[in-house]
Amino acid sequence: MNFSFEADALNVNYGKIPILWDITFQIPQGQMVGILGPNGAGKSTLLKAALGLVKPLSGNIALLGQAASRARKKIAYVPQRESVDWDFPITALEVVLMGRYGRLGLFGRPRKADKEAAGSALELVGMSAYADRQISQLSGGQQQRLFIARALVQEADLFLLDEPFAGVDLATEKAIIELLRRQKQQGKTVFIIHHDLPTVEEYFDWAVLLNTRLVACGPVKEVFHRDNLMRAFGKGQLLFDEAAALSAKSLSGIL
Amino acid sequence: MISFWDFFTDPVLRAPTWGCILMCFASSLMGVLIFLRKRSLLAETLSHATYPGAVIGVFLFAFLFPAHEEWTFLAVLGGAFISSLLGLKAIEWMEEKGKARSDAALCFVLAVFFGIGIVAASAMQASFPVWQKQVQMLLFGQAATMTDIHILIYGCLAFAAAFFLFLTFRPLQSTLFDRDFALSAGIPVSILDRIVFWLLLISLIVGIRSVGVVLMSGMVIAPAVAARQFSNRLQTIFGLSALFGVLSGFLGNYLSVMGSLALSQSGEKISLSLPTGPMIVLVGTSFAILSLLFAPKRGLAFRIGRILAFRFRCLQENLLKGIWKKGALSFPQIKESYPVFLPVLSWILFRMRQEGWMQKKKGLYELTRDGKQKAASIIRLHRLWELYLTESLGFQVEKVHRTAEEMEHILTPEIEERLTRLLSNPKQDPHQQPIPERYESLLGN
Amino acid sequence: MNPYWGTEFFGFFSVLFQRICKAIFGGVSSLAADELQIAVLATVAISCGLVGPFLVLKRVAMFANSVSHTILLGISLAYLAAASLWGGGMFDMGTLLLGAFIAAGITAFLTEILMRLFRLQEDASVGLVFNALFALGITVVTLFTRDAHLSVEAVMGNADILQVRDLKLSFFLLSLNLGAIVLFFKQFQLASFDRSLAQTLGISCGAFHFLLLFLAAATCVGAFRVVGVLLVLAFLVGPYLIARFFCCRLPWLIFWSCAIGVLISLFGVALSRHFLSAYGWPLSTGGIVVVLLGLAYAGAALVSRRLAAGQRVSLKTTG
Repeated sequence: MNFSFEADALNVNYGKIPILWDITFQIPQGQMVGILGPNGAGKSTLLKAALGLVKPLSGNIALLGQAASRARKKIAYVPQRESVDWDFPITALEVVLMGRYGRLGLFGRPRKADKEAAGSALELVGMSAYADRQISQLSGGQQQRLFIARALVQEADLFLLDEPFAGVDLATEKAIIELLRRQKQQGKTVFIIHHDLPTVEEYFDWAVLLNTRLVACGPVKEVFHRDNLMRAFGKGQLLFDEAAALSAKSLSGIL
Repeated sequence: MISFWDFFTDPVLRAPTWGCILMCFASSLMGVLIFLRKRSLLAETLSHATYPGAVIGVFLFAFLFPAHEEWTFLAVLGGAFISSLLGLKAIEWMEEKGKARSDAALCFVLAVFFGIGIVAASAMQASFPVWQKQVQMLLFGQAATMTDIHILIYGCLAFAAAFFLFLTFRPLQSTLFDRDFALSAGIPVSILDRIVFWLLLISLIVGIRSVGVVLMSGMVIAPAVAARQFSNRLQTIFGLSALFGVLSGFLGNYLSVMGSLALSQSGEKISLSLPTGPMIVLVGTSFAILSLLFAPKRGLAFRIGRILAFRFRCLQENLLKGIWKKGALSFPQIKESYPVFLPVLSWILFRMRQEGWMQKKKGLYELTRDGKQKAASIIRLHRLWELYLTESLGFQVEKVHRTAEEMEHILTPEIEERLTRLLSNPKQDPHQQPIPERYESLLGN
Repeated sequence: MNPYWGTEFFGFFSVLFQRICKAIFGGVSSLAADELQIAVLATVAISCGLVGPFLVLKRVAMFANSVSHTILLGISLAYLAAASLWGGGMFDMGTLLLGAFIAAGITAFLTEILMRLFRLQEDASVGLVFNALFALGITVVTLFTRDAHLSVEAVMGNADILQVRDLKLSFFLLSLNLGAIVLFFKQFQLASFDRSLAQTLGISCGAFHFLLLFLAAATCVGAFRVVGVLLVLAFLVGPYLIARFFCCRLPWLIFWSCAIGVLISLFGVALSRHFLSAYGWPLSTGGIVVVLLGLAYAGAALVSRRLAAGQRVSLKTTG
């Protein structure tokens, strides 16, 4: 049985600065996993490296036991809302439909079944009334629900969400968590980059604590405690960051 | 034969030479501001926006003062300024009220204004065919027919622009660095912006005659790019940019004149002149490329050099460690443990003997006293770092060796100091190996 | 004898209408010069209308400007290569497409190198590359053809010396663009809207990006004889911006961009003929078309703001 998410000595740089340093962990399937850490800790980079959007400096990373390029059809990625151009001339339904593009191949067109699936997904997230609305007219919570609908339509085994609850109202947050829980009950694995510590124990089964290097990875009951949180969010690693920055400069010839 | 000094003194050659120099002087200064604001492509649109005004200027002049053709350039200057100002307004409107994306607005204004110019030019062709050449040289510049009057006017404009820049230097510097702070500190940011744009327009219209409308933006961007590679101080960047600009202007014109001479002497009946604009831009861009490559500190060549030097140092230090651990090694043993390109390996060993870290006894390489000290200090850094990772940050003991292998080459004495204090002058690393003292060999170990 | 000779604006349209009717019943033997102009301009407009919206949405319109400058060098190099390798002519289809490919390729490649390897900011990289390559192109053209006019014509175009051959070229390019957009609409749409999703779905963003640039370059190449490289920009960007005031679904935006472009081409040619007949001014047709685009934009902007203001007023009075 494959791990849902696996990393081995992963190192990722962004230009001069190391973002992820020697990350190794294994996470089983069928869990709700929270990825936690301070700003700039490399959480988004971890997801992007897993998806093949960012090339690691060294080390391995795999989703469902395969590199992202092979596992594409089984992975649904929900990026941060800012990464998308919300002025784009497109309706809510069309955005959800995009979730199916991965299966249509080079020349395929969305079929009737695809369009119905998109409509159903919109209903599931409570957005059917907005199907023909321009996305520029949607609120933050509605935009996030749209993304979730798009992910649902992909019929994936793995969900990767980057800060889905930033700037979203509580009702939407609860609704989304409920939907994702149902996915987990069907054996899917859900990864959420989360920034709200008080809700971690309620939402997640597993936690990954990250601060450039891996602080802890394991069931929430085991790893979500004060010591680890201090290590992840505390200031004890200023020296580490300085040294890491120095290292990056030397390696790229700036110093 | 034309000598070098003829370019500055000969009545036919001196005006084009000075014209190009002055124009590039002005544009290179403004270019720094545009470059630092990351709006280099604005210069492209605005320079094209000068075209309709210039053409209509010629048109009106031909209509009103047909007898004074030598003064046409004044109409060109005036018209160019007005139409590029209109262009600027159009861009601003499109971005703010029209909600167009910035690059689309720039493209559209560029094309439409240029189109207006083309229609005007075609009208000129019909009504005042004699003046056609006045219009044609607007596109790619024709420094060759400039006169001393041009130089006087361009000179005044260029120096006025430089003077304004000098006056407003300090507030400009603040707005460039931190706009919001400048606003809050009461600096009239919007007025400064106006001034900068007006100065840009002036430098553009001065350049129309030498470089032409189409290529002007090249001379705004290239000198600034070149200058930026050499310094972080704004004053130095302005100075260097002006220097590169002036050199490009002169050399471009020089090459254009000499090139045209060479072409016409090669037997062609048509008198062909190599337009100055392209030559100036090519020279300017060459300066930029050379700066990007060879500027100390930021230049690519030096960066690559530093990377190689760093790798060299790492190899040296690894060799020191290796011999320190084993006592002495023979060349074949070294070759096996350090699979590096053979000449490089031999050279490093040679250097290390020269510098006094190693000596060769009975065919074996061993460390000198100084070499042992150096090796010990590297090992100390390695083991200190391992301890830091395991104690303070909770890394697993099995994982720390590899990153410590990298970091031992990078940690500075200052960081070492802080580590020693943080870990309370430790004696043992996570693998229970002793951490060498700071000045071991000098202390007699 | 050109049937449009001496016609003024409305007369132009009546002659056109008559000739279309005659053509349907098989009574017209060849295209008049004006009709050829309309046809070529319209096909160029449609080509641009297909590709332009994606360029704007991807925020690479300035890149298209960049490519339009490097066309000159691309074509010179392609001509040299074609002439020596297979004896191709300056304006053969193959040579021109090769030129477009070279232009798009060099521009993209050099800009990327400046940005990645030399760590130069994007706007300066783009500006440096196209100015240098354009300067190089002009120098090469001037040296090899001993004709300073070619560069001027490359910039300005000359719609008044069109031949049927040009129409064939434009038509070929139109079908190229149409084919690409129809086949790969969803990839272009996705890559413009949400790059990360596109990548995770396995769509090669780099390849489609280059395809888009190549199509833009090919369109420039096809159009530069007609309207000159700089005016192609107006066609690529203008109709989309105008349509965006009134429409917000991508397929319709593309349709309206093409339609607006065709309409303006039609009016442009009619207006050009009008000025010639009524006042004796032989104005540049390409230039007139672009000026009309500018006016159309201004008009659309005004109307849309009036409508928006009107809506606000009516909301206030009813609410």
